[in-house]
Amino acid sequence: MNATILLWQKQMKKALVHPEEIVGMLIQPILWVILFGVGMRSLMGTTSPDSGNDYMTFVVPGIVALTAVSAAIAGGSTWLNERLIGIVKEYLAAPIPRLSILMGNATSIVTKVLIQSIVILIVGLLMGAKLSNNPLGWLGGLLLIAGYGIGFSGFALAVASSTDSSEGYHMMIFLLQLPLLFLSNSLYPLETLPSWMRIGAYANPTTYVVTGLRQITLGPAPTMGTVANIPLWLCFLVAAGFAALGMYMALQAFKKAIK
Amino acid sequence: MSTNKIAISTQGLVKRFGEEVLAVNNIDLSIPTNTIYALLGPNGAGKTTTVSMLTTMIEPTSGSAKVSGLDIVLQADKVRQRIGVTFQEIVLDPDLTGRETLDFHARLYSIGKAERLAKIDKLLKLVELDEAANRRTNTYSGGMKRRLELARGLITNPEVLFLDEPTQGLDLQNRANIWEYIRTLKTNTNLTLLLTTHYMEEAEALADRVGIMDHGEIMVEGSPRELIDQMGADNIRIIGQGNPDLFCEAAQTLPFVESVNKSDGIIQIGVDSGNRRLVEIIGTANTSGFEIEDISVSKPSLGDVFLKYTGRQLRDK
Ligand SMILES: Nc1ncnc2c1ncn2[C@@H]1O[C@H](COP(=O)(O)OP(=O)(O)OP(=O)(O)O)[C@@H](O)[C@H]1O
Ligand SMILES: [Mg+2]
Repeated sequence: MNATILLWQKQMKKALVHPEEIVGMLIQPILWVILFGVGMRSLMGTTSPDSGNDYMTFVVPGIVALTAVSAAIAGGSTWLNERLIGIVKEYLAAPIPRLSILMGNATSIVTKVLIQSIVILIVGLLMGAKLSNNPLGWLGGLLLIAGYGIGFSGFALAVASSTDSSEGYHMMIFLLQLPLLFLSNSLYPLETLPSWMRIGAYANPTTYVVTGLRQITLGPAPTMGTVANIPLWLCFLVAAGFAALGMYMALQAFKKAIK
Repeated sequence: MSTNKIAISTQGLVKRFGEEVLAVNNIDLSIPTNTIYALLGPNGAGKTTTVSMLTTMIEPTSGSAKVSGLDIVLQADKVRQRIGVTFQEIVLDPDLTGRETLDFHARLYSIGKAERLAKIDKLLKLVELDEAANRRTNTYSGGMKRRLELARGLITNPEVLFLDEPTQGLDLQNRANIWEYIRTLKTNTNLTLLLTTHYMEEAEALADRVGIMDHGEIMVEGSPRELIDQMGADNIRIIGQGNPDLFCEAAQTLPFVESVNKSDGIIQIGVDSGNRRLVEIIGTANTSGFEIEDISVSKPSLGDVFLKYTGRQLRDK
């Protein structure tokens, strides 16, 4: 536990060393909301007067998921780099559990994701998204995001532990990233998808996390279809399970790499 | 705490990488507590691989080893609590300052704040980095990085410290300082130190025991004095043209010759007194048809021992 905190601190400190990284980290989600969200809103706004703001409300969780995925990819890339330079050896020789090395990394990624998520929510609100009235729902939303972030960070760390090349890493991550984002209801309602895609979406943790966010963190968006067809407890269960699975994969890959 | 008198022991330790590479071939070590042990060997001898196994970074293919009385595979977690390591290659985080590097490392080993601060200052002075302490390590020169790593290895009060080529790339002044500190540390604490090196002066200056390693095996082991003494009182080095075998055979039969060794094109003859026997050796060379091009007499050094057992010269000088 202590070691996890220590490694988390180190990663956070490293991020602060590079102001350009912080600036990019904050601007990226803003751009998504403004360029993608607003663009799509205008498109939707042509069908009915309400659906513009409804789409903004609808898409904010999707942008959160997307941002979490890119933060995890960046985190995995940092890890790969630390492995290649050999910095990881220092952790390996130290009397700390292997898992806490990975947890330190994953939690530092998630910290960034949570900060970005809050930025997205704020910018989303400014652009017309509606937030839930219940602050507990906001907290629950952050939990869902944290679980999702840990999970995908785990996958990124696993991939970064199984390759020795940056190109290889990005190639493999790309193959994970696309279906995770687009084979889900993050950017469009499940109801509009063809049935094979809908099946894929139901197998995708992104769908559960995004649905959970829509149920408790954001306000209703009636013209975008219903969000109640997945029970909330299942959203949390899937987020937690995804987090555990991701970390398990990361640990296995890491142990294999240091055999 | 361990009541063991042996700090490091290995039994038939073997490491293979795939089918082809036999990096460490069946080594048996037994290093008493509070000893400085130097593994001296040419490139690829298996020094780093040995250290990697003993520091639990990789698992042996077969055989077993104990550090501080703890099995390196079965009790790897506990071993890590007792040891310190510096690696052969520089592994510093470029984004941390020198001070942060030491602080982070000490915290990895759960060293309390007061002790940490005191030791960091002391060690930064020792390695002459106090002025650069608040600069990021990516602005350090190679030698500065090395010195910071050394300070890092020393900060955690290990029972057994592993240093893989600790003074590689340092200038003489810095090396001497580091040696001095290591010696003091050994005297004042119960530290056991295993270091690998290419520098025979380092082994001679520091080590209580030296193991000469080649092709994954320990070729010979002993205190520097013992190893040097078995070369004879004086060492005559000869380079020349002709049939060295005939000459070596003839030299072997001379009563005052203690050892004859031919490797890397150099013939080494250990004799009781170099200056007195020079003429006779030259005479023997002439009668066996060996034409001497260069001949020198010297007190034997670990370098000569090294040459004898590995057939190669230490070329770092
Ligand atoms: N991960 C690895 N995979 C394959 N072969 C390896 C690996 N690590 C080391 N070897 C091989 O094992 C042998 C011993 O290497 P090692 O690094 O232990 O030598 P060394 O004595 O430390 O050499 P140097 O003085 O150059 O540091 C070499 O032949 C090396 O190529
Ligand atoms: Mg080596």
